[in-house]
Amino acid sequence: MPIKRSKPKSEVGVKARRRSRSSRGAFDAITLEILWRRLVSVVDEADASVSRTAFSSLLRDAHDYTCMFTDSRGQELVQGTFCTPGQAGAMALGVKKIIRSMPLKQYRPGDVFIVNDPWLLAGHLNDICVLSPIFFKGRPVAFTACVFHHSDIGGRVSSDNREVHEEGVFIPLTKLYDAGRLNEEVLKLIRWNVRTPEEVTGDIRSQVAANHVCSEKIVAMMADEGLTTLDDLADEIISRTERSMRAAIAKIPDGIYPHESVIEGAGQRKDVAIRLTVSVKGSDLTVDFTGTSPQVDWGGNVVYNFTYAYVFMAVKSAFDPDVPINEGAIRPVKMTAPEGSVVNCRFPAAVAARMQIGHFMTEMVFKALSAATPHNIIAGSGGTPAQTNIFYGRRHNGRPWHTMIIRGGGLGASSRKDGHHCAIFPANGANTPVEIFESDTPLLVAERSLVTDSGGPGRMRGGLGRRMVLRVPDDDFGPQAPVTVAVQAGRFRYPPDGMFGGGAGSKAQFLRNRHPADPSGLTFCERGDVIEFYSAGGGGYGPAFERDPEAVQADVMSGYVSIDRARDDYGVVIDPATLKVDLEATRVLRKKS
Amino acid sequence: MAKGYYRLGCDIGGTFTDFVLVNDQGGEFYVFKCLTTPSDPSEAVERGIQVLIDRIPGSKPVIDEIIHGTTLVINAIIERKGAKTGLITTQGFRDVLELGRELRYDAYDIFSEYPPPLVPRALRMEVDERISSDGRVIQGLSPEEVRGSLSRLRGRGIESLAVCLINSYRNPVHERQIKAIVESEAPELFLSTSFEVLPQIREYERTCTTATNAYVKPITARYLEKLSSRLEAQGFAGKLHIMLSSGGITSVATAREFPVRIIESGPTAAVIASQYYGRMFNIRDIFCFDMGGTTAKSCLIQKGQAGLVSTFEVGRVQRFKKGSGLPIQVPVVDLMEIGAGGGSIAHMSKMGLLQVGPESAAADPGPVCYARGGEQPTVTDADLLLGYLDPGYFLGGTMPLDKPGAVRAMAEKVAKPLGASVIEAAFGIHDLINETMAAAAKTHIAEKGGNPKIVTIAAFGGAGPVHAYGLAKKIGAPRILVPPLAGVGSAMGFFTAPAAFDLSRSHRASLDDADFGAIETLFQELEREGAAILQQTDRRQKVTFERTLMMRFVGQGAETDLQIPRRSFARLSKLRVRALFDETYQKLYGRTYPDNPVEFVTFKVRASLPERPFRLPPLARKKGRLKNCIKGKRPAFSLLKKRFIPFTVYDRLKLFPGARMPGPAIVEEKESTIVVGEDAVARVDEFGFVWIDINEGGGERGRWA
Repeated sequence: MPIKRSKPKSEVGVKARRRSRSSRGAFDAITLEILWRRLVSVVDEADASVSRTAFSSLLRDAHDYTCMFTDSRGQELVQGTFCTPGQAGAMALGVKKIIRSMPLKQYRPGDVFIVNDPWLLAGHLNDICVLSPIFFKGRPVAFTACVFHHSDIGGRVSSDNREVHEEGVFIPLTKLYDAGRLNEEVLKLIRWNVRTPEEVTGDIRSQVAANHVCSEKIVAMMADEGLTTLDDLADEIISRTERSMRAAIAKIPDGIYPHESVIEGAGQRKDVAIRLTVSVKGSDLTVDFTGTSPQVDWGGNVVYNFTYAYVFMAVKSAFDPDVPINEGAIRPVKMTAPEGSVVNCRFPAAVAARMQIGHFMTEMVFKALSAATPHNIIAGSGGTPAQTNIFYGRRHNGRPWHTMIIRGGGLGASSRKDGHHCAIFPANGANTPVEIFESDTPLLVAERSLVTDSGGPGRMRGGLGRRMVLRVPDDDFGPQAPVTVAVQAGRFRYPPDGMFGGGAGSKAQFLRNRHPADPSGLTFCERGDVIEFYSAGGGGYGPAFERDPEAVQADVMSGYVSIDRARDDYGVVIDPATLKVDLEATRVLRKKS
Repeated sequence: MAKGYYRLGCDIGGTFTDFVLVNDQGGEFYVFKCLTTPSDPSEAVERGIQVLIDRIPGSKPVIDEIIHGTTLVINAIIERKGAKTGLITTQGFRDVLELGRELRYDAYDIFSEYPPPLVPRALRMEVDERISSDGRVIQGLSPEEVRGSLSRLRGRGIESLAVCLINSYRNPVHERQIKAIVESEAPELFLSTSFEVLPQIREYERTCTTATNAYVKPITARYLEKLSSRLEAQGFAGKLHIMLSSGGITSVATAREFPVRIIESGPTAAVIASQYYGRMFNIRDIFCFDMGGTTAKSCLIQKGQAGLVSTFEVGRVQRFKKGSGLPIQVPVVDLMEIGAGGGSIAHMSKMGLLQVGPESAAADPGPVCYARGGEQPTVTDADLLLGYLDPGYFLGGTMPLDKPGAVRAMAEKVAKPLGASVIEAAFGIHDLINETMAAAAKTHIAEKGGNPKIVTIAAFGGAGPVHAYGLAKKIGAPRILVPPLAGVGSAMGFFTAPAAFDLSRSHRASLDDADFGAIETLFQELEREGAAILQQTDRRQKVTFERTLMMRFVGQGAETDLQIPRRSFARLSKLRVRALFDETYQKLYGRTYPDNPVEFVTFKVRASLPERPFRLPPLARKKGRLKNCIKGKRPAFSLLKKRFIPFTVYDRLKLFPGARMPGPAIVEEKESTIVVGEDAVARVDEFGFVWIDINEGGGERGRWA
């Protein structure tokens, strides 16, 4: 018998059990819940191992990676709790394709595959996927995969490249280990194509280790539970997840919801037009991109998988955030996009900065659905796109260094709350501690702070953006010139919009020695230079004059909002000496508008 | 005066305060349990002590020692009832505490809540100073500026101050200067400096830990003072010790200085007790299971040793979501919250399924059956309806339970919406909470490399022995151990805990270049510091030390811990250290890379005094007749047959060594109730431990496991 057919264990959820019996009869609700939780904890353990084994701070501190595993058919079963939705969503599609590219019987214990083909996975070369079959009692029963964002993949790291060939080393699907034997040649090839070979190969090893942890735990679980296959369990989990997602979509009123807007081109390049139509019919949701700009001659092009990931993120986060993600969750969400468009680009388009377009998909779906479901969504966010900076050069003693950080901005406000300050959204990740950044690089961080008045005004205020100031030391320990800085970011020209009368957040800025610099190319800094990054604030929600004056006062006391802007944007008059609200003056001012 | 050496263990929980008084010479125990007094927990302590002293026949004894655990600190953080706290930090970094690490802990929840920082923005001041990442002073500190910030903060009414400067873990010179200024200018302020609280890299975690320490420092100090004076008024002149989260005990002075280290002080006691029993009975794997009124916590103890971790979270906005709380980086016993407690409320989820917790009725209003205003059915109500609890014998009959009230609430709030009977609903709650705990327990055990099928469950807490049997069935554990006085049993842990303190220092050096002599000096310094702290507890005992290396591959961001023997580091070979590292790494991650260079990052020392001699007294009653122990029979719910069957009810106080009680049985004591299913047999040993062996034969286990 392949699966433990557990006898109904309890009177709990009398309803639930009846339901499960009538549908499949294999697992009662509680057994399923337990197995599912254990599967999640397996992936989370693999996930946690990365912070202990990884080399680059982008992984161990900023958490730019995702672990997951699939059943034997390549259907995603569980992904890590702290995943990056772009990687995770794209992996759900890509890993299945990879696994099915080869008959199951050709996999051997100890095989480990490596690939960073952007069109197969998460849309740029930096995201390397390592994948391993999991064997139990001599049979492949599952696959474990992880995608790590490698800050160094060689190539020219700015967003103004015209082809993927300029962007670094391209690894097609290759065996890193063949039945347990390391293919040294692969590592050698990678080593010679990156700037910091020890770090890159160290991080690849960390990927292998994460898969090892995942495999061991799954095998142990199957032994404990007396399972011989995960596929029946997968079917049950996946079909339940699909039902939950469908139930959520069914609550959106049926209809066709179009949305059209532009995203700024990198630097001064021309705007990119996005046209999308969300169609909801019953429990099916389709997003179509007909009419969207063709692919562009810079690095913002997005592969299908990555576009899908952030369209899916919108639907999932707005309507069914509680249920863990797997194959079942993606089934009801379909997407079509013209091939060769900026959201479904063709090889060999440049794709390194794909988040500069791709991250906007979530907010655009929100905007399309805003009138129909005003309480499920948030206004524009300063962390869309994630603000990415790469720095490299040589230390005073000639040793090369290379690092990357990701920064968030203010989250958009919603009908129920103010935007959180500084979140990477819709992607996810953490900041790199200043003390880690300084011990990994010869640079000095002079400031990292919230920016007053950067949150979009509204009945609910947008989250604040932040400022990060870096100095290139010019003392004996400072680096050799130049220090190369690459920026992959956005919101320099168009700020995050507010919703339903809420105001926009502040824009992003990139300054070198107090002057705006071009974020699309490489910036070569001298010793003594001061670099400033401002991330954008989140958009507000609802008219700002409707904001509770006490909330405005609290914002002023915390320094989130200045006294002047409290008056001008919110119509709240605050006495600078006492920081008390002048209720009468406020009433008069608000009445005028 | 009653003769003997009297020690009192006292554990203030969310719902109950537990007391155990032991006479080390005579070996007698006295126990008491009463509701916690949240507004002033020392009130319950005073009362408990009085009750116990009054119980001792003859003249009143002098208590020589009190060992104490408390949830005060953690509650102050969760309920945000700490002091108005200020922060002084480096220019440009006052928002470190607010920005946190920015990771969205639930990637798909766009409405996630985040814990607000303990120090509001207006109370965070910056001073213009800077230390580089390698410890150089780049910008000196201006005492004038410090005085200015200090006076502004005092003007805003702060009571406590945290100081955390960038890179101070590398060179604390400026934090020391600020400390000197604060001590001379504002001696009334409670002060916490990051180089003393947590000298480790990563400014957010360090600032958060330091600010948390500052936040609870005044409330802890006041509480300890109040407690000391109440005790003094009761004539106590002995030593007062406080339990650390790491499982050691410490002096009042240290607890007052580093209250952040006593956050988990209560739940740790049960772990320490289990550790002790594990060694006493030579049990390899003990699963400590402590289920009280508010939470159920667990810990796997292997070979008599519980795991220790260096970071945990408090005040989670979402109880079971990692990342939704404040990170605290101090050593803590590897406890895991596996579920709710007896007071956890049952309700229907939006999917029409039964859910239990995480909301708890706690002490106030408590479960419906306490008849103190609770209206939501809880686990305790379910246990009552299933016949496991006797409404007339809760807390030995001092707290009658309202069964009809529980039936009403159960019918209305759970049974009706579920379309089930009251009993089905009650069983659903009992079983679901067991199921939830079993799932978490299995994961926890598996993660630690254990096997649930060989663990002995040690049950503690008022609800622990009630649920241990169901839990054992579900995880496949063959045996349950219910220590004497299990209902207050965690307080026993206080008696065995050694005085111990953990210290660490970061010092990065590659293995190839490291000066082992200098490392030996560093270890010795840490050991001296540790010894000084322990001598506040006891001057006469010999301090022992354990040394741990935290190492990693050059370029990695986190370390692998290696325990090393305590002998001169200078005499250790580099090859030996390298081999130890590779061995450990391979075990954890499958492969190691002997050609890649490794480095030292942090050195840790645990200083401890000897484990305390603690002799469990043998049962006073040497033999007896089983039928004299029987209180009667009452119908209770069989987990196997899914219906009520008659359970024999025993009085634990009358039990004798060798007593054998076949299930179905209920063993009652004042503070708890032991449930024994019909496929299990309970036996009593010479010390009064109840051992429950679950029937090895039969096909049942396979299905339950």
